[in-house]
Amino acid sequence: MARDVFITGCGIRLPGQPIPSEAMEDHIGRIHGKPSLLGRRALRWNGIETRHYALDSAGRPFETNAGMSAKATEAALEDAGLGVRDLEFLATATTQGDYLVPGHATAVHGALGGRSMEIASFQSVCGSSLMAAKAAWLNVLAGQAKVAAACAGEFSSRWFRPSFYEGTALVDAKGRIRAEADFLRFTLSDGAGAIVMEDKPRNDALSLKVDFIDIVSLADKFDPCMWAGASVENRTDLQKGWAFAGPVAAHAQGAVALLQDFDLLKRVIRAWVGVYLEKVDVKRIVPDAVDWLLCHYSAKSLREEIVSLLEKTGAMIPQQKWFSNLPRVGNIGAASIWVMLDEFLKSGRLQRGQKVLCVVPESGRALVGFMMLEAV
Amino acid sequence: MHDVADVLRRLTVVFTDFEGRLEQTPLIRKLNRGRFEMDDYRAFLIGLRQQVKDGALWMSRAASNIGEDRLELRSKLMRHAVTEHRDFRLLEADYVATGGMLADITSAEKNIGSEALSAWMFNEASKPDPFGLLGAMWIIEGLGSIKAQEWGRLAQQRLSLPDTAVRFLLYHGENDSQHIGEFQEMLGLVLPGEATAKRIVRTAEVTARLYALQIEEIGA
Repeated sequence: MARDVFITGCGIRLPGQPIPSEAMEDHIGRIHGKPSLLGRRALRWNGIETRHYALDSAGRPFETNAGMSAKATEAALEDAGLGVRDLEFLATATTQGDYLVPGHATAVHGALGGRSMEIASFQSVCGSSLMAAKAAWLNVLAGQAKVAAACAGEFSSRWFRPSFYEGTALVDAKGRIRAEADFLRFTLSDGAGAIVMEDKPRNDALSLKVDFIDIVSLADKFDPCMWAGASVENRTDLQKGWAFAGPVAAHAQGAVALLQDFDLLKRVIRAWVGVYLEKVDVKRIVPDAVDWLLCHYSAKSLREEIVSLLEKTGAMIPQQKWFSNLPRVGNIGAASIWVMLDEFLKSGRLQRGQKVLCVVPESGRALVGFMMLEAV
Repeated sequence: MHDVADVLRRLTVVFTDFEGRLEQTPLIRKLNRGRFEMDDYRAFLIGLRQQVKDGALWMSRAASNIGEDRLELRSKLMRHAVTEHRDFRLLEADYVATGGMLADITSAEKNIGSEALSAWMFNEASKPDPFGLLGAMWIIEGLGSIKAQEWGRLAQQRLSLPDTAVRFLLYHGENDSQHIGEFQEMLGLVLPGEATAKRIVRTAEVTARLYALQIEEIGA
C-alpha cells in the first residue's frame, strides 16, 4: 500500500569562509603558476561569485567528503528534531568519495556513528543526489524504514590541485592546459547537504510531501560528457581506461583528472530540454502548477534560444519562480540541490500547499532528474 | 494536443529523440569520437545531396497541393522551395573542394535510407492539403539550424578542411537561426486542429526515423 513520505529536515555543511572568484584560482593552485586562459570566461558563464573549499590556501585539507556529508546529515536530523540514533537508512551521493573502495556510504556512516543500519552508496555526478533521495523515499514508502536520510557531498577541489595536471598530456609544452580540463576547475567547489525523510509530516512546521522522483538516463545515446578515468581520446574505449594503464601511466595520459566535453554538452542540454518537455507533454509536470523551481542550473546560463523555445512550447516556468543560491555557494555538484533546498526552506518563502519542483541535470553521461514536492 | 504550443513541444521532443538516434549512427559516432576520415566526409556529402536535391521538389509539389483557402502557406512553401532548390550545387562544389570528382557525387545512387525518405516525402506531398509535411520541415530545417554548423565545424577541425569545402554545412547554420519563429507562424496557419496536429507530429516522427536511416546507411 502506497503511503506518503515527507521531507522533515534539511541540513548543510559548507567548509570554511566564502572564497571570492578573484581568489579562487590561487586557492586551488595555478597550473605551472600561470593564469588560466579560459577561467574568466568560465566564471562569466557560470555566474558564481563566491564558493567554498575544504582545502586551505596552502592546499591542506581541513575536512573530508565523508566528514562534510556526515555533518550535513547530522544537521538535517537536528533540523527534523531527531538524533543520529533515530536514523534507520542512509543513502549517500557523491561524484568522488574519499576512497575508491569501499562505497562512500560506509565512510559517511563511519563518520556519522549512530548505530548499525542499512546503507546505500550512489556514485554518479550531480544526479546521484536524487538517486540517493529516491532510495530513501522508496525505503520509507515500502515501510522498510521510518526515518531515512539522503546526503550528498563533494570535495572537488582535491582534484583541481596542479599535481593532477602538471606533467600530464593535459598540459602542452607551453604550459597551457586543455580546455576540457580547465573549465571544471572554475566550475565546481566543495560542500555537503542532506535531507531527512519520514513516514509522517512534522506537526510544528512545514514538511515537503514527495510526489515523485523521476530520473532519466540517456547514456544509451550519448558518450560521456563529464568524466574522470579515461583520457579525452580514449574516453569511449573502456579497455583503455585508467585502471588498465595503471595509476602512474594513467596520470601521465591525463586520464585521472575530471574532464568535460563542451561540444557534447550543448547537445546534452538540448536532450535535457527534450526530457523535460516530454514530462510536460504527458502532464507529469504541469508548469503552471509549479510555485517554485529549484534547478541545479542557472537560468542565466540557459541560452536565449532555449528560454525562447520553452516559452513557445508553454513549458517555461517564469524566472521569478526560480530560487537559486548558486552564485553565492558555488556549484557543489550532487550537494547543490540540498544546499539550495536548505536555504529556500529557511528563507520563509514557502507556503502550505505550494509545489516545489527540483531539477537536477547531470552532464556526466546525459542524465536528468526531477523531484516534485508539496508543502504540507 | 491541438494548438501551436502543444505541437511545437511535441515536435521538440521528436527532434531531441532524433538527435539521440543520430548520435548512435556509425558516421556521427566517428565524427564525435575523432575517427572521421575524408572518405567519411565525402560519403556524408553524397548522402546529403540526395535529399537536398529532392527537398525543393517535394516542397513545390506540396505547395501545388495546398488548397486556395491557405494561399499564405502555399506562398511560403513556394518561396522556401525557390530559396533552396539550387543548394545541392553547393554540396557538389564542397565535394570537389575536398579533392573529389564531380562525376562521383552527381552519379552516386541514393542509399536505402535516402530511397525511403524520398519516396515518403513525395508520397506525402502528393496528398491534398499535406499539412503534415510541416512536421517533416521541422526535422529537416532543424538539422540545418542546429546540427549543420556543429557537424561542419567538427568535420573542418578534424580534417583541416578549407572553408570552400564546408560551405553547405556552415552556410546552412547561418541562414536558419530565425527558423523557430518562422515555423511558429506557419503552424499558426493550419492550427489549432486535432487531426492536423496529430498528422504533423506523426510526419515528423516518420521523417526523423527515415532521415536517421539515411545517415545509418552512409558508409554502412
